[in-house]
Amino acid sequence: MKATPAAAPRPSRSRVRTTSIAAFVVLAALVPTTAAATGTQEVEAELPYVCALPSGQLPATVRVSAEFPERARAGEAFTPSGVTTTVRLPAEAVADLAAPDAAEVRAATRLDVGVAQNTATATATWRGTAEPVALPETGPLTLVATGDVPSVAGRGDGDLTFSAGALAIDLALGAAEGAATDAATADPGSLTVDCTLAEDAPERGLLATVPVGTGAPGASGAPSSPEPAGTSGASGAPDDGQPDGTGEPRPEGQSERSPKVLENGGAPDRDDVPPCRYDEQHPPTDVSLNAYITGYANVNKMKGAAYLPPSCVLIEQGLPEPGPPDPDYLIFDTVSYADFHYEERKQTPPFEATFLSFDFAPVKATMVMEQTGPMRIDSRMKIRLSDFTTITDTYVRAPLVLRVLDLEVNGTPLDVGSGCRTRTSLTSKDPDPAHFPGDHLVLYGRGEQTVGLPATGYLLLSGGALSGEMSVPAFTGCGSDGEDLDRLLTASVSGPGNFVKQVQGQTCAIAAPVFPSPENEGQCTEDLQPYEIPVAER
Amino acid sequence: MKKSIRRSALVACAAASALGLAAVPSSAAPSTVWTVTPSPSSFKAVNVGNIVLTATIPMTCTTSTAAGTMASTTGNPGDVADITTMNFGSSTSPCTSVLGNVTTTSVVPWDVIAVDYNASTGVTTGYVGNVKANVTAGACKFTVTGKASGTYTNSTGYLAINSTAGELVVTNPVNCGAVVTTATKPTFKGTYAVTVASTGAIPKIVGSNP
Repeated sequence: MKATPAAAPRPSRSRVRTTSIAAFVVLAALVPTTAAATGTQEVEAELPYVCALPSGQLPATVRVSAEFPERARAGEAFTPSGVTTTVRLPAEAVADLAAPDAAEVRAATRLDVGVAQNTATATATWRGTAEPVALPETGPLTLVATGDVPSVAGRGDGDLTFSAGALAIDLALGAAEGAATDAATADPGSLTVDCTLAEDAPERGLLATVPVGTGAPGASGAPSSPEPAGTSGASGAPDDGQPDGTGEPRPEGQSERSPKVLENGGAPDRDDVPPCRYDEQHPPTDVSLNAYITGYANVNKMKGAAYLPPSCVLIEQGLPEPGPPDPDYLIFDTVSYADFHYEERKQTPPFEATFLSFDFAPVKATMVMEQTGPMRIDSRMKIRLSDFTTITDTYVRAPLVLRVLDLEVNGTPLDVGSGCRTRTSLTSKDPDPAHFPGDHLVLYGRGEQTVGLPATGYLLLSGGALSGEMSVPAFTGCGSDGEDLDRLLTASVSGPGNFVKQVQGQTCAIAAPVFPSPENEGQCTEDLQPYEIPVAER
Repeated sequence: MKKSIRRSALVACAAASALGLAAVPSSAAPSTVWTVTPSPSSFKAVNVGNIVLTATIPMTCTTSTAAGTMASTTGNPGDVADITTMNFGSSTSPCTSVLGNVTTTSVVPWDVIAVDYNASTGVTTGYVGNVKANVTAGACKFTVTGKASGTYTNSTGYLAINSTAGELVVTNPVNCGAVVTTATKPTFKGTYAVTVASTGAIPKIVGSNP
């Protein structure tokens, strides 16, 4: 199947707008682990903003500093580094924040950065957190936020521009020392301030220009064609930048494709992801949820990463039970269970990964991950009694064997037979091996919330990023007609210490569905599939 | 046993501090005539700062809006306004908690009830009554009903809601486990800027005892 428009709904502030067809579905199956070593350009832009504060619209100054590469190659991902967002709110704004007892303020920033190449655009969200600062008695308030930002890759030749857009500032006001710290309602308050770039901002908020393409130095290390191949398998499997010749001819006008924001770019189109719904064989209960999950798994031996396309997971949400007594926390534990769901089987859809085996032979494998038992999801919610800060730690334990369906080495198909898979489940070091023996993959995610501010991080219901490290066991049953491919696969893939990062989307609760409306962010489609198709992150 | 003691303590703390904030000096004689300007009028309200709803765990809404009608009335308490639209969250900014995103569907109308008026500050003390909202977080569903104490300040047009523990109750909790039960005492805290829908002016509420 050919790549299709990628305007999948992703109803959040970081929603990506794309003007280009065939832009985002082409995600990297193999992500170069090293970027081109070129010079860097240091950027510092001071921009006028207008912020909506309780007393009205007030001017603010936002200074953004970051380092960008001087040039980049088409398809080459790079990450702006040293990103600092400094927000200076005027004295009038400080007066708005000066609630009784408020002495200090903690801030987090979310800056929309427009990334454009030729006429194609995408949006990245640059998140930053600031150290707590004292609220000044007089004069302006300056907040300095730092944080990591998404990688970006230009899709063709042409200048890649970065421009600052809307800015949201989450502010948590802390009580003065010695003031009441007894309960949530004693919190002096918190608010989210939305700011827009002032109309008179120089160059419409331009932060940096990175020339891409001709004349740019080449990447080192991992293989990549000069321009992405831009095709997609029937399952939506990615195939970016691979010189394997399997792609269909590139459509015209690809030079206009959107730049690729690797960490919060666009999601694949719904037509390109497998359905995710309960059915007669899998009837829902009143605690049934469904969600998509997608992400990358590094394969260290191959110096690359395999991309798992959005895969359907059916979840039975557990009921929170009181956790162990703790003098400082109120604790609730929840155990939920989940299954992958693809064509009535407990497995992922087939996905392709292309690597350079032994640094020279391109190997393309089509694989699935199959469950050998239920996936168990343990969530522990801890409410700190001193300030009602809440944290939810979630461990997902999944017994999954990796099955190889097809294999091509140097363009030549090799018959792996019908029983080619890892000997055991992919394994991780379990933090609680006494209670969770046996081989399984462990992924971890944390969600947090300061009273009065939005929750952040991974939460089973609303999704987020889960990460872990896995060992790939030896392969068995690979090959036919006397040709034993076990050793080839084991030698080139199996091994420890492979980083895994999977992003789960918002769940759809079948018995309490939330459909998109002006009042509500959509959680379910009309036919009770997950509304959100998440985007893989690295 | 130990756990339940701790949870009671937590609720007590919340109640104590909420009471402290809600206490406003009473005027000498209770107001029985409530003059709303303009009257009658349609109003709209938008949150100033984030709204925090707590049902054992706190939930944050960065966007919340309300609309309705207000009019002069007599009696004490006096029903000075009907809230006919009450939204928590929006399509781009859902309410969040560590349980996950929270969807709140208000069952309107709610009432704004005036009880006391301080002529020197222009602050009316009272509560939002007839509160009813259906809340969901994943498979967890429950209904919150009751009232929420608050104040209205003529100079700012701020309706500050700061409910005390016990004013709101939970009914019909389903699939919420131990986190939300019928023993849970929800609270509703947040400030709304109220304006006359047609003019954007700040409406006034004045209580008197002729």
